[in-house]
Amino acid sequence: MQIKIFLQQLEESLEGLDSGTVSETTVFKELKEWDSLAILTLTDTIDLEYGVLLKKAEIESCETAQSLFDLVQSKV
Amino acid sequence: MPANQFLDISLTGSVTVVPPNVRSIEEDVDLFGGNIRQIERLKKTLGLNERRIASSNITSLDLCEQAVQVLLDQLNIKSSDVDGILFVTQTPDHSQPSNASLLHGRLGCDTNCAALDVGLGCSGFVYALWLAYSIIANGSSQRVLLLAGDTLSRLVHPKDRATASLFGDAGSATMIEKREGAGVSWFRLGTDGRGSNSLIVPAGGARLPLSQETAEEYTDDDGNIRTKENLFMDGSEVFNFSIEVIPQEIKALLEYAGASKDTVDYFVLHQANRYMVHNIGKRLKVGLDRCPVDSFGAFGNVSSASIPGALAYELADQLSGKCKNKSSHQVVFSGFGVGLSWGSCLLTVPELDCLEWRVYEA
Repeated sequence: MQIKIFLQQLEESLEGLDSGTVSETTVFKELKEWDSLAILTLTDTIDLEYGVLLKKAEIESCETAQSLFDLVQSKV
Repeated sequence: MPANQFLDISLTGSVTVVPPNVRSIEEDVDLFGGNIRQIERLKKTLGLNERRIASSNITSLDLCEQAVQVLLDQLNIKSSDVDGILFVTQTPDHSQPSNASLLHGRLGCDTNCAALDVGLGCSGFVYALWLAYSIIANGSSQRVLLLAGDTLSRLVHPKDRATASLFGDAGSATMIEKREGAGVSWFRLGTDGRGSNSLIVPAGGARLPLSQETAEEYTDDDGNIRTKENLFMDGSEVFNFSIEVIPQEIKALLEYAGASKDTVDYFVLHQANRYMVHNIGKRLKVGLDRCPVDSFGAFGNVSSASIPGALAYELADQLSGKCKNKSSHQVVFSGFGVGLSWGSCLLTVPELDCLEWRVYEA
């Protein structure tokens, strides 16, 4: 798993974000459209790309993109 | 694992009836705090657009009755020739007697007729189809009428963003008959009751009868308002269940039938929302041209009526022989939802004499 590709996938999954706006330190709650719909599309992307199906609470427990990356990596 | 095959039984026609009242997602802008951008996201991602809402004097029984009348008329079958009635609903007119009995009385069917309700939601059409095939195969019935309908719009709280814009109302009637040369039909069914809390109406049954307390509104962590008498849905749990279980189930069904996904003409999935249908299609690696989903944006998620609704809305020309490309089609149905419960089948659908949808006429 590569963090750079992962960040790109997050960006594409979360609608309405400009390219390069998601970095390792991005805090999800600070994104303007961080809601259950965003979590749904993110769940789907991570399942399709990595075969890891996360629960909503697991995604919500990750504060930053880096912590989500670590969580997914631990489950691949 | 309930997995069955049936010989020479066929679905021979289907009609879906929706109420006249159309509600569009744009009318729900207040529900989303006036956020037009949010409405656009829901339209784009989930495919929310329009849904059909029954007025308070129309029930699923009424919608299904009108569907039956069109179906019997078009197929030229008398109600007395029906000897089995299966009514799938979770919004019956009464807790007793069953909608199936009420419909039997309204149609004036012969008393030599088995009639029962099936208390399932989004998986119910496939389950009742399996029951219909079963009672024809065991010789109990020759001709079974399958009704599937709900008025879920009445169960959702208008201030619950997880459900209010999603569900619509509809009723359908489908005929199943013995038919020489119909070939083999294949079914697989499953249940996971551990997920029963992720889609539930907590109050109104024997466990928690209606009371002043059950009618009290509460606000959940996401700011949605509902009472215990409303339908609660944990959207992310249901989504995860669907993308995890359903693609595997459909693959297992095809394997059981010795069929390839390439020989299947259409995968008619429960119209939960466009995102769900697309994502199951993606995981099956099936082109979206073979996974109809347009009826969702016209009717909403109409529970057990969604598969017959999708057939009538999107595949009427193809399956009723107006597009003269094939005399029969290989079609997979897959329903999944409350229970949690799921059922899938692979059928050979002949050229149908009747496949249509109509608007309810008072």
